[in-house]
Amino acid sequence: MTTTPLKRRGAAAAAAVLSLALVLTACGGGDDKSGAATGDKAAETRTVTAANGAVTIPAAPQRVVTIGNTDLPFIDMGGKPVGVTGVPDSDLALLPPEQRATWEKAENLGDEVDLEKVAALKPDLILVQIPDAEFKKMEKQLTTIAPTVFWGLDTEWKALAEGLGEAGNVKDALGKQKAEFEGDVAKMKQTYADVIKNTKFVNLDRYSNSDPGTYVIGDIGCVEIAQDDVGLNFPKAPAGKDPLAYESLPFEQLSKLSQYDVITYPADDKGQATQVFAPVVATNTWKALPTVTSGRALGVFCPGNNSYGAVLRYLDSLDKALATLPAKK
Amino acid sequence: MTALTLRRPVDPGAVTVSGSRRRLIGLLLALVLLLVLLVASVLIGSTSISPAVVWKALFDPTADIDQFAIRDFRLPRTVAGLVVGIALGVAGALIQALTRNPLADPGILGLNAGASFAVSVAIALLGIRDIQSYMWFAFGGTLIVTLMVLALGSTRRGQSPVMMVLAGLCVGSVLGGAGSALELTNPDAFDAMRSWNAGSVVSRPLELIWPILPFFAIGLVLAFLVSGPLNAMALGDEVAAAQGVQLVRTRILAIIALTLLSGGATAIAGPISFIGLMVPHVARWIVGPHQRWIFAYSVLLAPSLLLVSDILGRVVMRPGELPVGIVTAFVGAPVLIALVRQKKASGL
Repeated sequence: MTTTPLKRRGAAAAAAVLSLALVLTACGGGDDKSGAATGDKAAETRTVTAANGAVTIPAAPQRVVTIGNTDLPFIDMGGKPVGVTGVPDSDLALLPPEQRATWEKAENLGDEVDLEKVAALKPDLILVQIPDAEFKKMEKQLTTIAPTVFWGLDTEWKALAEGLGEAGNVKDALGKQKAEFEGDVAKMKQTYADVIKNTKFVNLDRYSNSDPGTYVIGDIGCVEIAQDDVGLNFPKAPAGKDPLAYESLPFEQLSKLSQYDVITYPADDKGQATQVFAPVVATNTWKALPTVTSGRALGVFCPGNNSYGAVLRYLDSLDKALATLPAKK
Repeated sequence: MTALTLRRPVDPGAVTVSGSRRRLIGLLLALVLLLVLLVASVLIGSTSISPAVVWKALFDPTADIDQFAIRDFRLPRTVAGLVVGIALGVAGALIQALTRNPLADPGILGLNAGASFAVSVAIALLGIRDIQSYMWFAFGGTLIVTLMVLALGSTRRGQSPVMMVLAGLCVGSVLGGAGSALELTNPDAFDAMRSWNAGSVVSRPLELIWPILPFFAIGLVLAFLVSGPLNAMALGDEVAAAQGVQLVRTRILAIIALTLLSGGATAIAGPISFIGLMVPHVARWIVGPHQRWIFAYSVLLAPSLLLVSDILGRVVMRPGELPVGIVTAFVGAPVLIALVRQKKASGL
């Protein structure tokens, strides 16, 4: 059995979001209907461009294998992969039921890609987003099995969605999601224009590997949507510096949060603090914060930040949370 | 003609009156140092809080947000540093006396590996996530490993220090490997163990510490009870037996004390190995090979080292912090090296 290790999904997603250099331009498509002359639609091909260059792929791929961070975004756009790689249970639990069913129906290739399993699935397209070094190790074998489209971890999520939509032939669903996203963002900008202009936000977070008694100022993940797309005023690391979320802060520092008007923190879909973040809200310091006692600490649900469907659910949660803000005195 | 002089073995525990006074003064100085560090530990943190607020937080509490920081974060970690330091120091002195090995620490008997393995099982197989729950697994793991080491290291003639150390190393290696396998195959366990293995006294509420204190008390009493027999055993089993020391009973009591102290400390703070190795060394250099004095000095110097490391860990990377287990090595190693270069390394 040939196996190749994959980088862990969480770190990969974080790296993807964090990178400042965008090496990939969204896939550009060029019709190349070499099979059209024969009238065989399955044989029609297109050419897409990704981090591994121009790749000729089937015009309408039927058996897609997704590797790394491509599986959930592809499924989110309505894709039905025949093979997927490992997803943590905590991420699976956040999927809508129909997407989870799709993921479970596909062959699970595990955390380490079993290339023999991939070959046995007889895919006609392989979509990959993993670290460059890992891809280099398996590129030759993958391209031997089927046309392989690769994006590096530094690909911004919207660019990845465009690329997946183009290569995976799910552009229609992607177009609808994009339109809904743009509509929601425009509406929030209008509804919360005053909040956007006059409110100092801070987003807190904790991770499963955070040391006990610590939290972070979260400036990566869903909060980037709130900051960059909606325009809410969250603290951000200076250009060229590590994200604020890279530095763990002791609980003692919670008392310094009084300088912010509104705190957002990770919550489940019912608004309760996530299990990982619960130790923060259990502290007396948190409970005594004026922001908390005045109802300005908002739990926001973030089911993912690398596909439009997940981001739309985040925006919905953020919208509902912002609507509960008491008027500023 | 060669003159042959036969001399009676000198009891290393014998002390003169002047030596005793010198040791007592040193002990008082160590006590003052510890008290100063206890106060500093409550005063110094990653945020600046005035001494007046600290005083109010401790003696005239209100619902002030800064006072919560003192009562909920600084005070518990100070208490944890105190009790864990005492336990590690005395446990280190015990294991060095028991094995007659100045380089021994409680980890040499596989106790830390037992605690780590039990915590890995709790997280990876039982899904336990909070430290309050898996603390007891750490303690239980230490107790079970002690029984295994006692069983494997015992012969018909009793317990041999060499056999026990070998048994401890073997059991520790096996459990270390098994624990690593669990951690590497379970991301949750990997994340939790990364933090636990660093050794920390942060986020250990007082409610977590109180239940361990009776075990510490029993361990300390036992340690001081066996200090006399351990002095005699330092001269060799035959000499100790000739002086009426019951070897088997002394070793078993010492191991029980060691397990309670080391197991309790590891349960609260995770494995912090350097204190148990270094502090008894320093104590021995100060007071000579007298176990009761070594234990007494370890009771005061070990928490001092742990507290000063914890305080440094709070300020060197402000506003972030370094776990005490990491800082302890950075603080302790230069001190130990300096002492080694200045004085003759002490035997047992």
